Amino acid sequence: MKTIKAVVALALALCLLAPPGVYASSHREAPITALDRTADVTDWYAFVSYDNPNNVTFILNVDPLLEPANGPNYFPFDPNVLYEMHVDNDQDGLDDVTFQFRFTTQIRQPNLFTGFVGGIAGIPQITSLDGTGSEGLSLRQTYTVTMVRHGRTVCLNDGKTLFAVPSNVGPETMPDYASLFSQGIYSLDGGVKVWAGTADDPFFIDLGAAFDSLNFRKGVGPVLSAAIDADDTHNYAPDAVGGYNVNSMVLEVPIAWLTADGKIHPATDKRAVIGTYGSTSRPQITVRRSPNPAVSYNLFGNGYQQVNREGNPLINEVIIGTGSKDRFSMDVPKNDAQFANFVLNPVLASVFSSLGVPVPPAPRTDLLLLVQYEAPICPGCGPKDAGPVADLLRLNTGIPPTPVGKQKRLGFLAGDDAGFPNGRRPVDDVFDIAARAVAGILVDATKYGTPLGDGVQTKTEGFNNAFPYVMPANNGRDSSHTGPGQPGCTGQPGGICPE
Amino acid sequence: MKYALALILVAAATFSFAQNDSPNSNGDLSPAQRSVTEAQRLIAEKPGEYNGYNALAIALIRRARETSDPGYYAQAEDAVEQSLKLSPNNFDTKQIQVSILLGKHEFPSALEAAQTLNKQVPDAVMVYGLLTDANMALGNYQDAETSAQWMLNLRPGNLPALIRAAQLRELFGDVDGSYELFEMAFQSTASTETEERAWLLTQMGRLRLVSGNTGAAEKLLQQALAEFLNYPEAMGTLAKVRLLQQRYEEAVALSQQCYKSVPSPQNLYELAEALRLAGRKDEAKKAYADFETRSLVESSAKNNANRELIFYYADYAHQPDKALAVAKQEYSWRHDLYTLDAYAWALHVNGQDAEARKQIEAALAVGIRDAQLFRHAGEIALQAGDREAAERYLKESAELNAMGSEQARITLANLTPGR
Repeated sequence: MKTIKAVVALALALCLLAPPGVYASSHREAPITALDRTADVTDWYAFVSYDNPNNVTFILNVDPLLEPANGPNYFPFDPNVLYEMHVDNDQDGLDDVTFQFRFTTQIRQPNLFTGFVGGIAGIPQITSLDGTGSEGLSLRQTYTVTMVRHGRTVCLNDGKTLFAVPSNVGPETMPDYASLFSQGIYSLDGGVKVWAGTADDPFFIDLGAAFDSLNFRKGVGPVLSAAIDADDTHNYAPDAVGGYNVNSMVLEVPIAWLTADGKIHPATDKRAVIGTYGSTSRPQITVRRSPNPAVSYNLFGNGYQQVNREGNPLINEVIIGTGSKDRFSMDVPKNDAQFANFVLNPVLASVFSSLGVPVPPAPRTDLLLLVQYEAPICPGCGPKDAGPVADLLRLNTGIPPTPVGKQKRLGFLAGDDAGFPNGRRPVDDVFDIAARAVAGILVDATKYGTPLGDGVQTKTEGFNNAFPYVMPANNGRDSSHTGPGQPGCTGQPGGICPE
Repeated sequence: MKYALALILVAAATFSFAQNDSPNSNGDLSPAQRSVTEAQRLIAEKPGEYNGYNALAIALIRRARETSDPGYYAQAEDAVEQSLKLSPNNFDTKQIQVSILLGKHEFPSALEAAQTLNKQVPDAVMVYGLLTDANMALGNYQDAETSAQWMLNLRPGNLPALIRAAQLRELFGDVDGSYELFEMAFQSTASTETEERAWLLTQMGRLRLVSGNTGAAEKLLQQALAEFLNYPEAMGTLAKVRLLQQRYEEAVALSQQCYKSVPSPQNLYELAEALRLAGRKDEAKKAYADFETRSLVESSAKNNANRELIFYYADYAHQPDKALAVAKQEYSWRHDLYTLDAYAWALHVNGQDAEARKQIEAALAVGIRDAQLFRHAGEIALQAGDREAAERYLKESAELNAMGSEQARITLANLTPGR
């Protein structure tokens, strides 16, 4: 959902003019620099693994709207960014278990102009991430996964060199991309699985319509017909993220690693519930360095500052006011009480109201279940267990996964208890769920249950229902995007998306 | 949408040419020309929306910097005016206005305008960048540091903040620290942003050059030129490497190429210097004369080549009174360390060494470690009769082994009998 942020941030991007000539004499002016996109968290997912009720899978996606054809070096992870997955297991909003990803870039063929090449210039096609068949991976990234728990840091690599899966350049360079994708799946000690690389962005939304002041496609949104609302498998409006890639880190770990006492608990037990979020951080930098460099600048040591975070898929984008977004992004969830008013009196609710959609009056305490520990996600939590207002994606690990095929895009709202806002799976239609939550469906499903939605019900490229739960990256040579007037809306006559 | 825009730019690069701007001899449009084309298309598509005009203004600012042609700033101002008609008081547009002021070197007005925006929205990160730029240019280094640091705190690692912090570190004498930040910015810049990458590599190369490491400088500058063919600033900096390596003919060729791409008075001055050092006296004389004519045209404007003009009058034309007049004019409105240095030198060639010393020491007090500034300080101290200080400064300059060190060595040798 942070794709949205990329749009909101456009305004700023336009003003990212770097220094003009500071001295009349020297032309030191920088060109317009880009946003910090490598540290931009696009989406955060946490769910009980579909095939194993004893495991939880986390997905941290960064770097939005990657165009598959945008060579020559495509989109590596940033070696200067610390990527983290955070877990609170005792309702205090603070980290108890943290998983960290750090990337290193190798340039193996410094004379090549492109990151990936194969099948030409005497270099074989890329068929492997390492060894024979990997020669064409000039730009290759390796990574480490560490777990911080009980004050101890453990490297989970299990002695293996983990390679990030590159973007899908095209069939001439990478004749069997599916194989490269699978080679990136690593099974580590303790039943842990990990995958990192460029993948199809699983997020789906009619972004253009949503941000043109909720100007949805005619005959589709913002109020969905019963027939469209009941259809979880066809799109009635263009999926603006269709055909784009994203950089993805996927980690599957035993639930016993995540709970406070190392045990698995039933759904009714508060110890089954975890609060999670994903973040990116960069080394803390001061203009003046301390004489002791370790104090002021310590790459991958302590001196880190958070750049961005995501817990729930709607808070940062549609709830937090534009002027507070940077503050929100750099702060920790435990301090979110300062933003509580955005939740209790969301601007989006008044927008809906102005469109004639009935919404409950503020303060919207019904939305607090997104930012505090309470039923129905934590039925075992009493009033004293609510914890601070904190944007954490809460997951009850005692609720078993819904089998593939029975999952509902509206998740919790449609009786599929293993879906958002109980954690979040790639299939969850978070835009529709969030819109309805803001409109008050949790207060009274009859009175405030307007079936709001954008008409994008599912991912154009489909879903991967097994680890790593993301689809292989779209192919740079042959992929395309969907838009109004174009094919890609299977629910519409002829599959053509409405204007 | 920034990304969508980038994609459209890529497409524009392949298919379209600007209407009112001619492509270079290779038929390619520069990145700024492509942005201009794209913005014009946006405006044609949705003439009632301000975004297109803002995009056009930014593209024109970029083009102004690419070409050193201030005429583009006037066009950018027109675009901003259109934008404000459609969306009065738009905060983005106001920031663009400040950027135009900075581009025109109207630093005092830029500072005032940025301060107003800062009061309006205290958490807007980029406004701190505008404040830093204006303060740095005026010599308010403490204020510049405060803004840059807050920018780094508010959004850690953001590239505009890294670049400004890197620039301040150099001015504060921390060349390695400056390099480190530019390198970090480089690592975080997407490979598709070739112009940005070339610019960052050029800064890194320049930092290696000022600390006397011509080998490392050359490697970085070649890398910049590989990222972005014939990148003028990289060619200009490489020309300085060649001068230091005493490969004068190559320096001349590079300076000529650089001046051809960006025909600014500053680049003409650099070319004249290279020609003089290469012993091509007549050509140098002509280039200097052209430089004088051209720089005088814009001398009374704020966006000028007055720093070069001061050194031209002081060291080449031997017209100390003119050097001082221009220096006083600059000093009347900005006190950045490069202006202090030029003013000090103008005072020195006019025999006013007590005041010259005050100014050059104020410049050095910022922390800068620059061989040319140390040499100036040495010569000034010597003429002021402080042999001990002169020796200290000249040695600093000589040890840096960069532009200015050679002359410092010569003065030192004359100073120390038997050397």
